[in-house]
Amino acid sequence: MYALQLATAGLAIGSVYALIAIGVVLIYKCSGVVNFAQGAFVMLGAYFTYAITRLGLTPVIAVFLSTVLMAVAGAATERLVLRPMLKAPVVAIMMVTLGVLIFLRAVALAVWGPDQIAFPKLFPDGAIEIFGIFITYNYLTAGSLSICLALAFLAFYRFTAIGLMQRCTADNSRAALAIGIHTSNQISLAWSMSAGLAGLGGTLLATLNGLSLGLSDIGLIAFPVIVLGGLTSLAGAVVAGLLLGVLQAFTDGLVTPMLEGFLRAYTTIYSVGALQQVLPYALLILVLLVRPQGIFGWRGSERL
Amino acid sequence: MLEATGVTIRFGGVVAVDALDVMVRAGEIVALIGPNGAGKTTFINCITGAYLPDDGQVYWKGENIVGLTPNALTRRGIGRTFQNVASLHDLTVLDIVKLGYGLRHSTPLPAVVLNALRGRDPVADELNETLLHPLGLADFRHVPIQSLSYGHRKAVDLARALAAQPQLLLLDEPVAGLSSSEGRSLAALIRRVRDRLGCAVLLIEHKMDIVNSTCDRIIVMAAGAKIFEGLPADVQVDPEVRRVYLGEP
Amino acid sequence: MSGTRLWITFLVAAAACVLALMLGRFGAYLMHAVVIASISALALNLLTGFCGQISFAQAALLGVGAYTAGNLGNAGWGILSIPVAGMASAASSALIGLPALRLRGLYFAIATLAAQFIFDYAFKILDPLTHGVSGLLIKPLTILGYVVQSDQAYAVIAIICLFVTWLTMVFIGETTLGRAFLVVRENEIVAKGMGIDVARTKLWAFVISGFFAGVAGALLAFTTRLASPEAFGLSLSIDYVAMIIVGGLGSLPGSLLGAAFVTLLPELIQRVGEALNIADILSAAREMAFGLLIIVFLIFEPRGLSALLHRLASRSQTNIALKTPQPTSERRRSELGLKLEKVE
Repeated sequence: MYALQLATAGLAIGSVYALIAIGVVLIYKCSGVVNFAQGAFVMLGAYFTYAITRLGLTPVIAVFLSTVLMAVAGAATERLVLRPMLKAPVVAIMMVTLGVLIFLRAVALAVWGPDQIAFPKLFPDGAIEIFGIFITYNYLTAGSLSICLALAFLAFYRFTAIGLMQRCTADNSRAALAIGIHTSNQISLAWSMSAGLAGLGGTLLATLNGLSLGLSDIGLIAFPVIVLGGLTSLAGAVVAGLLLGVLQAFTDGLVTPMLEGFLRAYTTIYSVGALQQVLPYALLILVLLVRPQGIFGWRGSERL
Repeated sequence: MLEATGVTIRFGGVVAVDALDVMVRAGEIVALIGPNGAGKTTFINCITGAYLPDDGQVYWKGENIVGLTPNALTRRGIGRTFQNVASLHDLTVLDIVKLGYGLRHSTPLPAVVLNALRGRDPVADELNETLLHPLGLADFRHVPIQSLSYGHRKAVDLARALAAQPQLLLLDEPVAGLSSSEGRSLAALIRRVRDRLGCAVLLIEHKMDIVNSTCDRIIVMAAGAKIFEGLPADVQVDPEVRRVYLGEP
Repeated sequence: MSGTRLWITFLVAAAACVLALMLGRFGAYLMHAVVIASISALALNLLTGFCGQISFAQAALLGVGAYTAGNLGNAGWGILSIPVAGMASAASSALIGLPALRLRGLYFAIATLAAQFIFDYAFKILDPLTHGVSGLLIKPLTILGYVVQSDQAYAVIAIICLFVTWLTMVFIGETTLGRAFLVVRENEIVAKGMGIDVARTKLWAFVISGFFAGVAGALLAFTTRLASPEAFGLSLSIDYVAMIIVGGLGSLPGSLLGAAFVTLLPELIQRVGEALNIADILSAAREMAFGLLIIVFLIFEPRGLSALLHRLASRSQTNIALKTPQPTSERRRSELGLKLEKVE
């Protein structure tokens, strides 16, 4: 019963992870770049929502506007920063996204300060009980909203015309260009959708965890998610996100107390700290050793 | 010295190499020819460990070498050149050839330090004499290979393979992309390498004039199987070869 | 590297030592900060710049070196703490590198990111060794019983270590291993096909790079007198990657330039900020400038400061390197007596 409770909370937070991770996979598929700045987009989305509610607008409009703003930010990043770097070595491109991360974090620090801020209430207080499991409205809405959006996005990607163009660009951008797809627009679109999703994910995370600069670090959880799911698989990102959310919940709720009990009895180590934060990364390394392409990815091959 | 027996390689339903027997004796120059898709490069890749055969054995000087890495093969005296000669940043000709040399011979550390301090480079000098000069690369030894023409880059690749003093050299279409005079020079060089170093050569090639003037023996492949093996003179008149190449009934 | 260049390097190092001794406390502090960063940057450059393995775990390796040296120093091991710390980091580096032997570029980079977090976590919870979040207090370095106290002395020790590191890097570049690094960086498949033992080559890159990272970490331990998990977190790793990219990947002088740039930038911003009176958002301004500079730099000069300087320098000379040399018909013919014709 307790396990089920944990699992539910885990699924809720996992869906938010999934939303964020989808963004990274999207960009990777389209332009072959790993966007380390995704964490910053997550954080900014939350801060934008906060700022807009402070202007007096209702939460719903705030969330919507902030997502739109993030989409613009994503496209802007692609145009201003990534576009000029097309011919640069891979290390440089990765580094430049890190530069964006550092810069955006600094901007947030300058505008809103280093402290945790009370995030406006988007959902009513209280919890409901389903089959004996308690779940707060926060978690419930965040989780269901995320998972619906994630699935909707997968459907969009799979079934719509634009989705098809995205898939073509992702599969082989030269061929896509040859058949008339405006690949550079598609790439910008991928970045803006990715940033929008990240921003939304950030807002939802903030309703669960509060608003602070630390949101950009949580954004890094996207990496264990996408490695587990497969760097090129959107569905994999969703599944892996959910899995990792549940794993974290179980670790926090079950494994940590057990481990601490054991350690306190036999060693001088008092606490295992934030084990649930580090476990995804240990899992990441395990996956890379055993099955680097993740659950849904494929093995690449190269011509000699 | 190289004995491949019954080598079969399948990719799914396609049989790329079909029960192939190839033997190369010490100091022989053997050509492997055949139409595109006959399985020649696949076979060579099998020898160098890129593919594991589904059936058959490959022996080198009595040792089973199936699946060994190129590094292990280099140490056993098998060298290989490539069709696509990669451009390797700003590595110079001498760097690459020295690398080839260093894979087989290791100079003891104190000697390296002393030579470095004295500004002398006996290895480079020796390599320059024996390899770079004959290949016409002596003037280019400090030039980055990415600035060189394709023909020169192939020559560097050959020098690299030769620097490890192989006893068997696997050449994958060595004259592809070269002009006819360059090709003839290279072919003559291959013969000289065999004459002077005693190195055996197994080469894949399409140009019959090169093959005829260079090789001791020719093996013809088609659709993965050997359809002829013999002297250059006999190849041209063999009916099966004519059928495969010229479409004669 | 010839004997002459060795002497020149030695003289430069000696001059730097003399300079260090003449500087005031703050100057000496800046000097050893830059020198220590340079050692670590050279180490990372070997791994990433020469061998092409992108690593975000540099801070973790520095941390291992720092904690090891700190514990050994406190136990009285003196100057030996430094090389032993180096070995501890070398071992950790090999540990991180082992999975890498099978992974390519991007996946490996992500793996090092994970490794950084894992080490970070280990620093926090291995209380007996690291004193957890509060950090390990470290006594000053003792050399043969003499306690090293002044910043100037530490600067000199750091310069000596940098000298050794530099020589090692130059030397490696002239060996087969060094050349193998470069080929592996360019194209692992080609390297393997050429007969290079790629796994062994990469492993050596990790071990050597890790050793010097450990040395830098040890020096950090003795100069800052504290080793704490937050000092060796992801942002420090990112700083180091920035150093070698800004300086120029694969360039030895570039690593020094990058180290100086990234280390001195916050100080510069501090001064400017104090002058402009924006002290309250100073740390934000520093980070903003850092991020912006990385972005701008990479867009306009992805090959780093050393390439930039090279371009400026070569503008003033005639470029003769790319002109094709004249055919050498006068040269004596070799035993094989053959020439390939040139085709342009």
